[in-house]
Amino acid sequence: MTTADEIAGSLGLEAQPSFARRRLNALGRFVVTQPLGTIGAIIIIVMILGSVFAGQLNTVDPKTSIREAGPLDAPNGDNYFGTDRSRRDVWSRVLYGGRPTLLIGFGAVAITMGAAIVLALAAGFLGGIVDVIISRIIEIIIAVPAILWLLMFTTAIDRSVQTLMFSVAFTFTPIAIRLFRGNVIQERSIAYVEAARVIGASGGRIMFRHILPNLAPLVIVAASITIPAAMLAEAGLTFLGLGLEPGTPSWAQDLGPSNRPYFRLAWWLVIFPGAALALAVLAFNFFGDSVRDVLDPRLRGSGLI
Amino acid sequence: MQAYIIRRLLLVPFTLILISIIVFIFMRAVPGDAADVRCGAAGNFDQQCFDVVREELGLNENKFNQYFKWLGDIVLRGDFGYSLSQRAHINEEIGKRIWNTAQISVLSIAFTLLIGIPVGMVSAVQSGKPSDYILRFLAVMGLSVPGFWIATLLVIFPAVWWGVRLAPDWVGWEEPLTHLQILAVPALIIALAGGGTIARIVRSSMLEVLRSDQVRTARSKGLRESAVVSRHVFRPSMIALFTIVGLQFSLALGGSVIMESIFNIPGMGLWVISAVGERDFMIIQAVVVVFAAWFLLITLLVDIAYAWVDPRIRY
Repeated sequence: MTTADEIAGSLGLEAQPSFARRRLNALGRFVVTQPLGTIGAIIIIVMILGSVFAGQLNTVDPKTSIREAGPLDAPNGDNYFGTDRSRRDVWSRVLYGGRPTLLIGFGAVAITMGAAIVLALAAGFLGGIVDVIISRIIEIIIAVPAILWLLMFTTAIDRSVQTLMFSVAFTFTPIAIRLFRGNVIQERSIAYVEAARVIGASGGRIMFRHILPNLAPLVIVAASITIPAAMLAEAGLTFLGLGLEPGTPSWAQDLGPSNRPYFRLAWWLVIFPGAALALAVLAFNFFGDSVRDVLDPRLRGSGLI
Repeated sequence: MQAYIIRRLLLVPFTLILISIIVFIFMRAVPGDAADVRCGAAGNFDQQCFDVVREELGLNENKFNQYFKWLGDIVLRGDFGYSLSQRAHINEEIGKRIWNTAQISVLSIAFTLLIGIPVGMVSAVQSGKPSDYILRFLAVMGLSVPGFWIATLLVIFPAVWWGVRLAPDWVGWEEPLTHLQILAVPALIIALAGGGTIARIVRSSMLEVLRSDQVRTARSKGLRESAVVSRHVFRPSMIALFTIVGLQFSLALGGSVIMESIFNIPGMGLWVISAVGERDFMIIQAVVVVFAAWFLLITLLVDIAYAWVDPRIRY
């Protein structure tokens, strides 16, 4: 009895590894060639798990005071990261505090990429008046510092996670459009687009079925490098007391005005949330850099990302 | 080139007017207005109080009239009007505050380049060696660790441990050294993030130039490596910076908003943040328009300098 492998072997062909096998090999290569990116990815996964399963990790309600603890207790066996002025457990606040920051980071970047892809395809592929209008809008958005846009949004609408997510996306979309638009224009002049046009494909079909797949590496790289920037944008605003609703557990919130008077008395109030935020951003940046090196080394240091 | 500059200059007011419309719409969508804040602060919740204050501030007028009056005053007389809550003349306040913000952002751009360019150059020349890895690691650290956290730590811990105040109380140019110290510390913190970005750009563009034909030619005619770098590599690899310096300026202004509130520096940023609390949209509108005008002029200058430095650029 001959198996497919033997036939292939007799014909001098190597057996093709399965799809799952190939993915695993690619992952192995990533781990070996990109040690910092791998460490970053592990930290990101731990942080996501930590904030998703915050309830199961020996935490208490981050918004209520603990009766047994005193105000500003130093870290101890019951309260690993100590307590704050209102006798709330800092460990719980740090774990729950990851939720809004990570959510806004991922959510804002998802919106940014979606909007930027559509608008960059329109600007780059259709050109003409569409391109001019989109470029003018980009100029308007970029001319005002991001933090001012964010505080206008939160003042005019509200301070919910969704509003922050949307407004952070609003300030990052123009930068992503500029990045993608150039590539769309390059792709447009390659022969496959002409070929698609010759066989009668519509503009929409060419944009989304032919050009878009070729943008994928760039989009993945841009996304992984925009996440940390989006997290920092939200954190800066919340730190000023103008972002998330006061009292919401969030890393930047706990570094902000409400806790500030107590930092000199209680180092744990400023060290733990700050270190969590810094570590998260650092991990995303290391991971993003590695993704870029693997997918598109040409982009290294292109300025925007 | 001249035509290009004129076209760009004509575009600036057009962009500014669109920005002013957007800001105006945003600010009129804010729930509650200065009358609520002012009467509420006085503990006066009579309808009469609200009516009097709204009448006085012209908030009862038609929105279109309000907008055109505001815009007209700015365009015709350069007058931003009065703030709602303190009834201060906005132009006067801007005159007092803008220099502090300008000093911080210019200083921070200077520090950004002073940190970023050498770090990026050493990193590129030493590419692949341990020093390159260490510098790249530091660059990522610089752009990842939030500036406001570093600032908070710097304000608190040196004071607690050694009694050193890195952030003294505000003084003007009467005491030049203290004044510079107050401005330099926040500028340096902003520059850590910018410097990380610049270092990465300089490193990669320099590596690209180092691999180019002109550098191979320079080396093969026996030029010393230091001369190759200073004569043939430095200038072309700095050109990449022009594409990013505009964005850095915007980041420096944004960073200044945060730093002014931590270090209590009476600049535009601290002002706009307190204005948000008081629902004083006249101030917010003015600050946004001024920052945007500033940014548009800077990017125009950068683009002109770009064409001047790089003769390949033709507009």
